[in-house]
Amino acid sequence: MREYLLYIKTGETTAMPAQAYVTPCFAVDQSFWREREGCRLHVIGRSPSLALVFSLREAVNARLQERRASSQPWSEEGLSELRQLAVARVREANALYACEAGSAKPLGRTWFTWEDGEGAVRACRSGELWPESAPLADSPTADTSIRELLAGRALLWEELVTLLGKQDVAIEEPDLMAMLQRMVLGERAEWRPGVCLSVAKGWRRRLDLFCERCGSGRRTMELTVCHTCGQGCAYCTACLGMGRSKCCTPYLLVPAPLLSAGEQVEARLAATLDWNGSYSPAQAVAAEQARRFVAAGRPGLSQFLIWAVCGAGKTELLFPSIAEALSAGGRVLIATPRKDVVLELAPRIQRVFPHARVIAVHGSSPEKWEDAQITIATTHQVMRYYQRFPLVVLDEADAFPYHNNPMLYRAVARAVQRGEKLLYLSATPPRYLRKSLVVKTTGMLSPLFARPMLKSATHVLLPGRYHGHALPVPQVVTVQGLHKRLRTGRPITALLELVRRCLESERQLFLFVPRIEDVDRVVYYLASFFPDAAPSVAGVHAADPMREEKVRAFREKRYRLMVTTTILERGVTIPRSDVAVIGAEAPVFDEASLVQIAGRVGRSADDPAGTVLYLQADRAASPRAAVRQIRRMNQLADLLRARGQQA
Amino acid sequence: MRVDSCVGCGGRAASRMREAIVRGLAHRLATAACYPVMYRSVEALPLCTACLEKLPLIGDTICPQCGRDGKTGELCPDCQKIPAETLQSNRSLLRYNEWGKDLLGTYKYRGEERLASFYAQLLTIAVHRHYKGIRFDCIQAVPLHQQRLRERGFNQVDLLARRLGDRIGVPVRSLLLRTKMTEKLSKQAGRSARESSMADAFSWAGESLKGNASGWYRVLLLDDIYTTGSTLRSCAHTIREHAGTRGSIYSLTIYR
Repeated sequence: MREYLLYIKTGETTAMPAQAYVTPCFAVDQSFWREREGCRLHVIGRSPSLALVFSLREAVNARLQERRASSQPWSEEGLSELRQLAVARVREANALYACEAGSAKPLGRTWFTWEDGEGAVRACRSGELWPESAPLADSPTADTSIRELLAGRALLWEELVTLLGKQDVAIEEPDLMAMLQRMVLGERAEWRPGVCLSVAKGWRRRLDLFCERCGSGRRTMELTVCHTCGQGCAYCTACLGMGRSKCCTPYLLVPAPLLSAGEQVEARLAATLDWNGSYSPAQAVAAEQARRFVAAGRPGLSQFLIWAVCGAGKTELLFPSIAEALSAGGRVLIATPRKDVVLELAPRIQRVFPHARVIAVHGSSPEKWEDAQITIATTHQVMRYYQRFPLVVLDEADAFPYHNNPMLYRAVARAVQRGEKLLYLSATPPRYLRKSLVVKTTGMLSPLFARPMLKSATHVLLPGRYHGHALPVPQVVTVQGLHKRLRTGRPITALLELVRRCLESERQLFLFVPRIEDVDRVVYYLASFFPDAAPSVAGVHAADPMREEKVRAFREKRYRLMVTTTILERGVTIPRSDVAVIGAEAPVFDEASLVQIAGRVGRSADDPAGTVLYLQADRAASPRAAVRQIRRMNQLADLLRARGQQA
Repeated sequence: MRVDSCVGCGGRAASRMREAIVRGLAHRLATAACYPVMYRSVEALPLCTACLEKLPLIGDTICPQCGRDGKTGELCPDCQKIPAETLQSNRSLLRYNEWGKDLLGTYKYRGEERLASFYAQLLTIAVHRHYKGIRFDCIQAVPLHQQRLRERGFNQVDLLARRLGDRIGVPVRSLLLRTKMTEKLSKQAGRSARESSMADAFSWAGESLKGNASGWYRVLLLDDIYTTGSTLRSCAHTIREHAGTRGSIYSLTIYR
C-alpha cells in the first residue's frame, strides 16, 4: 500500500516562505532539497489516502498564507498548531465520510488513518547529508526519455504504466515513482489525486468530491470500500469508460515543453503542403483569416471560430492553418466527435501532408500512445492530453458529445499549450460560441437588425457553399395528427408527393425520424403506399448491427429511401438526394440538428438544388429557427458575392 | 447510468408494456408457491422491456450437476468425465453471451460497482428458482488473491455475496484465502491446464464452520461465472478438507 507524506519546507531565513508538500517517497525530496541553500523539512504526518493528504496540504498552505499575511515569524508553536489542524481535519473527514457512506463499513478502524509526524523535524544546511537519505540511483538518460514520453499527457497511474509498457520501458514501480517525484519537484510535472476530496463549508458541512480528470462534481461520484488504499475512497462514474479515476489513484499532469531544435526542423519539413485544389474567393479569404490567427502571436487571443455552412469545404479551409502551426515547430490536434470521421480524416490529411506523421487516435486504436506531428482524435481521447498542442482544432463543436458538455470542452481547452490556439469549426455554432466569438455589426436599430460580421479577429463566417449556389431553403408543413396518420396508414400528402417525385426522377431520399421506434413504422408506412419500391426502402439506427452495411448500400444506390434517426445528420454526402424530417417538432431536432439535416442536400456542384421538407405535428420553434438561419446565410452569401463583383 | 435507466442499454426502464413481460418471466421462473416473491424480484430489475425480453435465461432442462442448459436433463459430457464430486451441484441463471460479456466486463474490469445490486438481484432470483428448500449456513464468495484485490480495488463476488446475504438472510463468511495468483482464464491453454493451475489455489482462513444442530453444514459458494468449474471445485475441496465430510457444498453463479 502506498503512503503519502505531508511535510513543510522552511528556510533558514524568513526570506524563504514556508510551504507544504506531498510526497510518495520522502527520500527523493530529502535528496532534492539537500542541494538547496539551508532549508528545513518538518513532517506533519502521513496517510495512505492520497486525496486526504492533498486536501490537508491545501488547508496547511492556506494557514501558512494567513500567517505570512499577518507577518508572524515561523516558529515551533506554529508547527504544532498545523499538526493539530491536520488531526482535526482528518477527524472531520472521517465523520463526514461515515455519514455519507451509509451502511458500508471501513476496512480498518476508521475510514481515514492519519499518522502524526510528532518530533520528525529534519533540518540541514547545504552540503550536509540527512542520516537516512541514501544517494539515489540517478540515470539521466532514462529520466529524459521517460520525460519525453510523458510530455503533454494527463494520465492516471494505470494508464502511465500501460503507456510505458507499450513503449518497452521497463522500470520498477518505486523507481518510477521516485523519478516522477523528481519531475514534480523540478516543476516539470504535477501530481494530483484522480478524485479530489475536500470539506465544503456552508450551512451544513459535507464532503465535496471533484474528478480532476473530467471535472465532474459530487453528483457522479460513488463512495466505495476500496481495497487498493484501504481508506475512504470514491470513484468517478462520468469518465469510467476511460479507466477508473479514484481518490487513491495518482494522476500525473505533464505539460509539454517547446520542441527541441532538431524536432522543430523535422516539424518544418512536415509542414510541406501537397495540395493542388483551389479555393473559391470566399474560401480563400476564410482560410487566410484562420491562418493569420494561427500565425499571429497576439496575446489574449486564443480562440477562433470558422463558421462555415454545410458543404462549404471546411476541411480544406484548415490546411493553411495546420501548415502554419507545423512550420512554427509544433504539434497539431484535430478533435472530432465521431470515430468514423477520425478514420476518414486521417488518410485525407496524410495525403495532403505527405511528410508529416499522422495518427488516428480512438478507443481501440493501436496508435493511441504514440507521438506524431498531426494527431486526429475522438473527443474522449483528448482527455489524456495536457498542454501538448500549440494548435487544437475542434471539429463539429456543436455535435452530440460536445454540445452542452462542459467535461469535453474542458478537456479540449486543457490539451492546448498555455497561451496557444484553439480553433473551432462548425456549421451551426452553439449560442455560447457565437456570443463570445462572433462580432456583430450594429445596425440602425440594433440589436434587432444586428447581423453577424463576415470576419473579425475572432471568427470568420463563410455563408456560401463552395460551388456558389444557395442553400436549399426547407419547407415547413404542419400536418394535423401526423403521428396518428403514420400509425393508421392514412395518407400524408406532402410526404407522399415528395417520395413519388423522388422515385420518378431517380433521386434518393433521407427520411429522418426522432425515435428508434419510428424507423420501422415509417418503413412499413412507405412500403404500404409504394409496394413496388418496398425492396429499396431501408431503416437504420445507432444500435443496428447492419448499420455500416446499410449505409454503404445506400451510397451505392441499392436503396433509394433511407429511414434514419439523427445518426446520419452529419458527415454523409450523397449526391442527388432530398431530405424529409418526420416529426420536426421533437426535441431531438434542435435548430443546429435541423440545419445540419438540410445541409445534406445539394452538396455537389452538378446538383445544387433539392428539396428539404420539415413535417411537424404542431407548430414548433426549432424548424422555423432553422429556416431563418438558412435564409440569413443565403442573404449573407448574396451580399458577399455582390461585394466580390464590385471589387 | 441513472437509477431509473436500464443497465443493459441505458434506455428508460419504465414502460407500459413492462408489466406483462415481468409477469410472464415470473411465471416461467417460479413455482406456484413463490410466485409473489419472484414477481417482486423480477419487477425490481433495472431493465427496460427490450432487455428483459432478451435476458438469456437458462431453461428448465439442465445438467443436474453443473446447471448447464441441456436437452435431456442428464449429466452433460463434461460432468461425466469428472469422477467423485465434492461440489454437490452448481446452478446459474443466465447463459454467457455477448451481452453478458460486456456487462460483466463493465462491472469487473471497468469497476462499475453500481452494477453489484443488479447482479445481486439476479442471484436472488436464482436462489429462489433453484435452491428454494435449502437452508444455507453461510455464503462464501470465491476469494481474490491479495495482489489482484489491490489492483482492482474491490472483490466483485464479495460485493454480490454481501448483498445476496442481506436479501436471503444468510451470513457471509470468509473461510478461504487465495494463496496462488493464477493466470487470467484467457491466457490459459485449456481445461486440464486450468484444472491443474487451480489445484490448491486456496487455503483455509482458520474460521470454524459449525453447521446446524446435527453438525451438518451447508455452504453456498458464489462466483460470477462457471466456465470449467475448476475454481469452484477447488474451493469445495479445500472446505471439505478442513470442515470434514459431514456437509454439502452448493455453488451459484450468474453466468454459465
